[in-house]
Amino acid sequence: MSLSKRTMTLNLTDAEMQVLEELCARKDLSKTALLRQALRLYQIVETRLEKGDKLFFEDDKKEKAEVMML
Amino acid sequence: MSVTISPVYLFNVERGQPEAAELWDAITDQQLADWEAEWIPELFKALQKLRRAGVERKHWPQSRHWDWRRKAAALQGILAHQGFSVMCNGLTQGMMFVDTTTKRCRVESQKSKNLVYVKFVENAPWNRKELLFDPPRYRGIGSILMRAAVELSHSIGFKGRVGLHSLPQSNGFYANACGMTDLGVDPDPDYSPMRYFEMTSEQAVAFVEKGGKS
Repeated sequence: MSLSKRTMTLNLTDAEMQVLEELCARKDLSKTALLRQALRLYQIVETRLEKGDKLFFEDDKKEKAEVMML
Repeated sequence: MSVTISPVYLFNVERGQPEAAELWDAITDQQLADWEAEWIPELFKALQKLRRAGVERKHWPQSRHWDWRRKAAALQGILAHQGFSVMCNGLTQGMMFVDTTTKRCRVESQKSKNLVYVKFVENAPWNRKELLFDPPRYRGIGSILMRAAVELSHSIGFKGRVGLHSLPQSNGFYANACGMTDLGVDPDPDYSPMRYFEMTSEQAVAFVEKGGKS
């Protein structure tokens, strides 16, 4: 399986880079893998919201809180 | 849609020898047409055989309700959901959709890490012993699709981790042929009574090393 790939340069602030590096360490992913994962997740969320679905977080007491997407 | 086609081999049971096949990293109109024109009629015939053989309805394959065209339409263009198919002798022999984004690992050693989740996987009816196609036409489709899931997992940085909920007739395949960890029946009513299986990075290496064979 070999998908052709295109390269881009990404400019991040120090704070953004720090978060990226922390997430990479926590998730055991490279920066590229993490950003590709973030893109997939963002697309799913946007697609569902565009269809009129709502996004909720649920805590361990099964309390649900809607995530407001502006 | 650009499709990558890789050469693979299935085992032709009747001839008792391997046969050249193809792994596609997509489910296209060609596969969906095979599902409608070839799989569904064979599936109906198989259900009729099961009924006439006195097999209770609860033992009929749950996947009989799956509508691959509807699934493909719903997942079209979504990066998180990739399709795979196995072609041999001009026909679709198996299909799989995976989710690379919304599920996390449950096995303690890799808990909460990302994994490739096998959302749907199905063999063509004529390759399924439980549908009374005995002997089945081809063997090896499940292993090829699992291997594709493992390779995808590696290519997106998930180190071979794969998870899935198994239909009852496939529990033995995932536990024994794939060497996955069986975490038991999922208490979530959306999945129960299906069992959840997960492949760790180490199990993925072992599975690939033995050739991904059953």
